Amino acid sequence: MSARTYDPRVPAPTLHLPDFCAARAILAVVLIVEMVAILFALARQSLQQNFWIDLASCSLFLLWLGLSCTAVLCRTRTWLQQMPVARASTIALCLLMFCVLLVSEVVYRLGQFWTFGAAGVFSMFPADHAAFVLRNLGVGFIVSSLALRYFYVSAEGKRNIEMAAQARIRALQARIRPHFLFNSMNTIAELTRSNPERAEQAVEDLADLFRASLSDAHTQIPLRDEFEIAKTHQRIEQLRLGPRLQVTWDVDTLPMRAQVPGLIVQPLLENAVYHGIEMLPAGGTVSIVGTFRDGRIEIEVRNPIPLQHNYGEREGNRMALENIGQRLALAWPGRASIETRQEGSEFFARLVFPYTETAAAHFTS
Amino acid sequence: MLQTPVDMRLLLVDDELPARDRMRRLLAEIEDCEIVAEAGTGELAIAQCAELRPDIVLLDVRMPGLSGIEVARHIDSLEDPPAVIFTTAYDQYAVEAFETEAVGYLLKPVRKEKLAHALRHASRISPTRLAKLAESARIDHRRDQICARLGEQLKLIPVADIYYFLSDQKYITVRHRNGENLIDESLKSLAEEFAGDFVRIHRNALVAEKQISAVERCDDGHYVVRIRECGVVLEVSRRHAAELLRRIRGEA
Repeated sequence: MSARTYDPRVPAPTLHLPDFCAARAILAVVLIVEMVAILFALARQSLQQNFWIDLASCSLFLLWLGLSCTAVLCRTRTWLQQMPVARASTIALCLLMFCVLLVSEVVYRLGQFWTFGAAGVFSMFPADHAAFVLRNLGVGFIVSSLALRYFYVSAEGKRNIEMAAQARIRALQARIRPHFLFNSMNTIAELTRSNPERAEQAVEDLADLFRASLSDAHTQIPLRDEFEIAKTHQRIEQLRLGPRLQVTWDVDTLPMRAQVPGLIVQPLLENAVYHGIEMLPAGGTVSIVGTFRDGRIEIEVRNPIPLQHNYGEREGNRMALENIGQRLALAWPGRASIETRQEGSEFFARLVFPYTETAAAHFTS
Repeated sequence: MLQTPVDMRLLLVDDELPARDRMRRLLAEIEDCEIVAEAGTGELAIAQCAELRPDIVLLDVRMPGLSGIEVARHIDSLEDPPAVIFTTAYDQYAVEAFETEAVGYLLKPVRKEKLAHALRHASRISPTRLAKLAESARIDHRRDQICARLGEQLKLIPVADIYYFLSDQKYITVRHRNGENLIDESLKSLAEEFAGDFVRIHRNALVAEKQISAVERCDDGHYVVRIRECGVVLEVSRRHAAELLRRIRGEA
């Protein structure tokens, strides 16, 4: 990815493992183990005789194996993630193989202890020591390698998206801000003489705004704060555009405690002003409408635009929209969206995302 | 440098009131200059330029409707056009173009000394440099209006109202909803600028695609185009027939 080469701060790739200590991961392991057990039982083609016993013994053994491997990865995860991928993978693989060996050995010994000579139900324990252990090591090696490879590939994919989003937000800051910054400075330069109090407020607002835009791209903030940032932006633009800029806020029904990635509403307002209101001699009204239903928050920003202009295709606008889309996708994969449409001389941008009160889980990892 | 005994007469153009307030205040502190008018839109600026004949126009680049560079191109069609100084808060492409073409510009917030210096050195921008500016700074990808000179006045013609452009030896005739006018531009650059909506049907004719009501084939094999709203029939050259038919069919 090109984003990687431009950014000196990007950490070297590490082996990213899911948090195996979490209940969700353990549930996933149990489910996977059961499916593998069913797979094995089916593959043995002994549906008529002993299928259930076969499945039960296989499940029992694989659960032991799966949970002990999970426990080992849970303990060693932090340590493994600090080293380069190749070494971490090798060590993880060795640990898992050791686990397999240990569990197989224990199971075999147990079988020997419980069933010496006796037949019946205990025949589910393996009889041939070497074959049993070697077979388990073989299967374990293949499954572990596949799993590690899967974790690496999926983490790498996620990392690429994250880095692209970071690169975009920096590019966005570098792109749209200067116009706003210098125009605001010009307004303030005038106000310092004509209206010092408003000049002071404008400087304070500008400081707040830049502080918000310099914060980490991953930080989640309450919806209330995000609206506050957008309103700060609105106040500054208002000084410059006067009555040409009207903004109506209809967001009272939204849960203000909802956690959202920072700067998802403010750029929409900024775009609405830059590409819409500013380009209209008579100005116009930006309306921001929020609706909350079925645990989903919808925010629609609507603004007039000059006719004949391919608003959504403008480079700055498209970049801002893509950037918001990527950060929504990072916060709520597959459950959030940003849509835009143009109807005649009006442009609509709509955010839809689920209501969460705490930051999404993978942001803390 | 010779000091002129009369004041420089300035036209101040910016869509933002605080920006004009500040410029007015700065100019009040500079000697030998007088603001004859202020304009908040490009259209008004063009009208005031034609009427009041300022010496220098201080022209904001980014404005609703007509951009500053378009305004400069329009007022340049006046006889004895004024000098132009562009002002901008931030516009990377425009500033690069101003630098390349050595055109006077000021960055907002403007310093008083720089403003005074720019006023002393303000000069008219040649049409060729303006054309280059418009090309490299292209803030809006294309004009929404074109400008025709009517004696001492300037007239803006919305591109949406234009039926066709016809060129003869020297001038181009624009036929539009409210009549026809002469303009001083080249058909080639018009064809490039409005490539999406206008189609070349002849070496000397550029027609609005949506205004073509019919393409008819004559007995001798060549084609003619009928213009919807005025009924005029224009000849299609052999060289442009294939392209025209392709575009008309592609639309259907």
